[in-house]
Amino acid sequence: MNEIEQTGLATMRDSWITGGTSFDLAPAAWKEIAGSANPDERERRLLAIAAQALEIALRPAAPKTLKRRPPLPELALPMLPERLRPVLRAALKHAADARTKSRVVALVASRGFVLHPMDWMPAASDQTSPDVYGPWIDWQAGVDGEKHTSLEQLTAQNWDDFYPVARRSALADMRRTAPASARQLIETKGPSEPAEVRLALIELMHFGLGSDDVPFLKSLSADRSGKVRELAGRLLARLGEHGQPGDGGPEDPVAELAAFIAEGKSGFIRRRTTYTPAKLKSPAQERRRAELFETCNMVDLAARFGVTESDFIGAWQFGADNNADIFVARMAAASGSDAAVTHMADTLVAEGGKPALLVLHLMPRLDRSRKRVLIRLILKDTQHLGALTQVEGVEAGWLEWGDLINGKTLPALRAAVAGNDDAVKRGVDQLLETLGFLTTAEAAEKLIGDVVAAGMAPAAPSLGLLRLNASLAGL
Amino acid sequence: MEFDLKTIEALAPDQASLSSASKLTKQSNWPRLEKNEQLAIIWGECQGSGSNPYRVVVDTGDHGYKCTCPSRKFPCKHTLALMWIAATSPASFAAAGSTPEWVNDWLGRRRKTTSQAPAPGAGGKSIGEASRDEENDVVEDAASVERREAAQRKRAQDTRSAVSAALDELDQWISDQLRLGLAGFVDNSSDRCRRIAARLVDMKATALAGRIDEIPSRLMGLRSEERPDAAIRELGKLVLLAKAWRLTPDDAELKRLVSSSESREQVLANPDATQIESAWEVLGEKIETRRDGLVSHSTWLLDLNSASPRFALLLDYFPASAGRRSNAFTPGDRFDARLAFYPARQPLRALVVDRKGDISSGEWPDFGFDIADPLAAHVAYQERAPWLTDCPVMLPPGAILKDDRGDAWWQSADDPHGIALPIADTVSPTLLGLDLTATAGLWSGSRLLLLAAQSGFGRLDLS
Repeated sequence: MNEIEQTGLATMRDSWITGGTSFDLAPAAWKEIAGSANPDERERRLLAIAAQALEIALRPAAPKTLKRRPPLPELALPMLPERLRPVLRAALKHAADARTKSRVVALVASRGFVLHPMDWMPAASDQTSPDVYGPWIDWQAGVDGEKHTSLEQLTAQNWDDFYPVARRSALADMRRTAPASARQLIETKGPSEPAEVRLALIELMHFGLGSDDVPFLKSLSADRSGKVRELAGRLLARLGEHGQPGDGGPEDPVAELAAFIAEGKSGFIRRRTTYTPAKLKSPAQERRRAELFETCNMVDLAARFGVTESDFIGAWQFGADNNADIFVARMAAASGSDAAVTHMADTLVAEGGKPALLVLHLMPRLDRSRKRVLIRLILKDTQHLGALTQVEGVEAGWLEWGDLINGKTLPALRAAVAGNDDAVKRGVDQLLETLGFLTTAEAAEKLIGDVVAAGMAPAAPSLGLLRLNASLAGL
Repeated sequence: MEFDLKTIEALAPDQASLSSASKLTKQSNWPRLEKNEQLAIIWGECQGSGSNPYRVVVDTGDHGYKCTCPSRKFPCKHTLALMWIAATSPASFAAAGSTPEWVNDWLGRRRKTTSQAPAPGAGGKSIGEASRDEENDVVEDAASVERREAAQRKRAQDTRSAVSAALDELDQWISDQLRLGLAGFVDNSSDRCRRIAARLVDMKATALAGRIDEIPSRLMGLRSEERPDAAIRELGKLVLLAKAWRLTPDDAELKRLVSSSESREQVLANPDATQIESAWEVLGEKIETRRDGLVSHSTWLLDLNSASPRFALLLDYFPASAGRRSNAFTPGDRFDARLAFYPARQPLRALVVDRKGDISSGEWPDFGFDIADPLAAHVAYQERAPWLTDCPVMLPPGAILKDDRGDAWWQSADDPHGIALPIADTVSPTLLGLDLTATAGLWSGSRLLLLAAQSGFGRLDLS
């Protein structure tokens, strides 16, 4: 289309928009085509020519404001094979919330693959996905510019060259292998970071936490952020360091908490000390006790009674007050020493039954073998199978078929599948999803066969994660 | 539990369904018949009147069933026919170790019923009668044939006269819109288009009426400053279509666009309907509920053996009141098939004549793109058939970018300062970080509807 035609088209267009004839405004060549007909027909012919000109002769103009996002980085693991993507999508679709979706992601990563970005992307705020997704989390956060995502050693000099998630991941690795170097980096660079980032950096100190960290953590008592001061206090407590000494009076929180605990004796021959939650008189007292358990450290509370943390735990009367038991377990997880936490976990697991479920609160502090022991215990007992769905921080794909047949889990599952109780079936669905995450591929395959034989539809959505798990075998 | 004819008779909603089913029991109607004895299910694909085969699955245990056809009879004739074949010719079903994804989907969603089949023989329906119906489809005598053909000719003549009058009325309506001003037309397009569409339906220009009914939604999908140009394009194309029809009213393509479409049988019998046997990939789907109460279901296919991009459109309509339909294909599916294209200047719409086996996924062929003008194929379509609206295009390497309003654009990687195509819908934010090695979409003249793309991360479903 030449310039005359473009100008003609523009004026004709204006005429038609307001209403009227455009023949006199048309380019000469167009007039020639339309000319011999009656006025209405002439306008229609010009309309047809104009339509075709707009359709093929003009092209949309690219706005100057078009912005390109940086390319999505490739991850360190290969993409899940194409043929498995429908199975994966089915599992993701059935996963009801972010927590269950993250299990799907973790299972796939445990088998050495990452998801296709159009199937799943971590959120910019994601802190639970496997480390391999760090570059995508940084990409989602919209951090612009070329930065390090490589395996280059993090130093104070190249600190700003790392994306935030890549930096956190590098620091966590460093804390595991060279905790002093990592601490020095945090000590050097932390003060210039905002409170939120400082808090995340101090949280990394729990990797390889040791007595060498005490002076630095003590120095944080002067930090600008209350959350940072509180976290540093808890980490110090885990190292057996007492917090700011109170006056022991009614205003001292540790003393106030101790007043909610009754010290007693039991046994006829060997008198043992016991700690029992005192009876509460009002909901206000209940709330106050919960606050105090949350803010006080275990080492201080034990010291208030003049005993070690382990002695305090050993003398605590589990089962007397379920809420108090939960608070003690949470307190141990937050501020108990490693020895106190493992002692508590071992004591509760040895006791079995419902008290063993309190170990669920300690999971983030437990080593791999203790986590597995608890899961096997829950499976063997079957009284509290539902608790399995609350398990956090466990590795994927290790539970063997032998662990499942060693107890009453399978008979209970089969009976629930064959039954007609919808509430029970919903519980089964959740349990199968959890087992889909925990089991080995071989156990997943066998479990599918078992529940299908019991009457579950082979394509039931609740088998989605088990199917994905089984299909990841031998890749 | 095996089927017997009495059970099928009892399940049938009426005698007509049984009669229709009996005509579908020929194996030639069923390119795929499979069973899984362990799960007690049978399934098949029936070549019905739609462009896609209907997918039917039946639980032989509790007689649960599902068919992708739009029928409002339950069970439909396809389901009854599948059961009928199972009862009379069980060896026709090939044993399958695994079940297809669409069968799995159904199995996963359904709730098993505990009720059994109704008592056989209820409701005055008869398998024997249905079989006899088919046998009684006797050859008409010569006089009947002559009368029938004469009636057909009369109807065709009446339709042509009515359509001609309809196009005269359409011409006048377009002139009125120009006289009154396109600004007013854009603002009141919904009412104005509805009125002329209703007139066109009365005058047998049904297809054209459906197209005009969709103009308002096409205009409203654009920014206000783009609507006048879009209105010129829409109305100008109608003028061209009307003129072309008047010149050749018997032209199959123009009749299809103005009045009504041929039946499947007519397309298959038409020597001008090109048939192409090739490997096809399902690019994507477009499902739209139209103002006339129909849902149009478009499935776009790409020929994987063609040197230049060749597309096929499988188009079906069904009533919106029939509810959501299961899809016959999933984007990304690849299969060998023979397609028959509806005769047209630029053949696009097609039927699946014979679907063969599925084939493995992979990259698209290297088509050797026209970098200078990514819309060259669109121009070629428009030169041959200027009344076309949405044209399939295969775009060269590019990327998706956003403007300051947050709208997405496709832009060529080799010509970042050249043309950019605005995208019809919102796009996944992830797509903004992917380099696209090839992109398939539908260009409407003002918006690009993405169907699928190839990227460094493999194939992307974008429809």
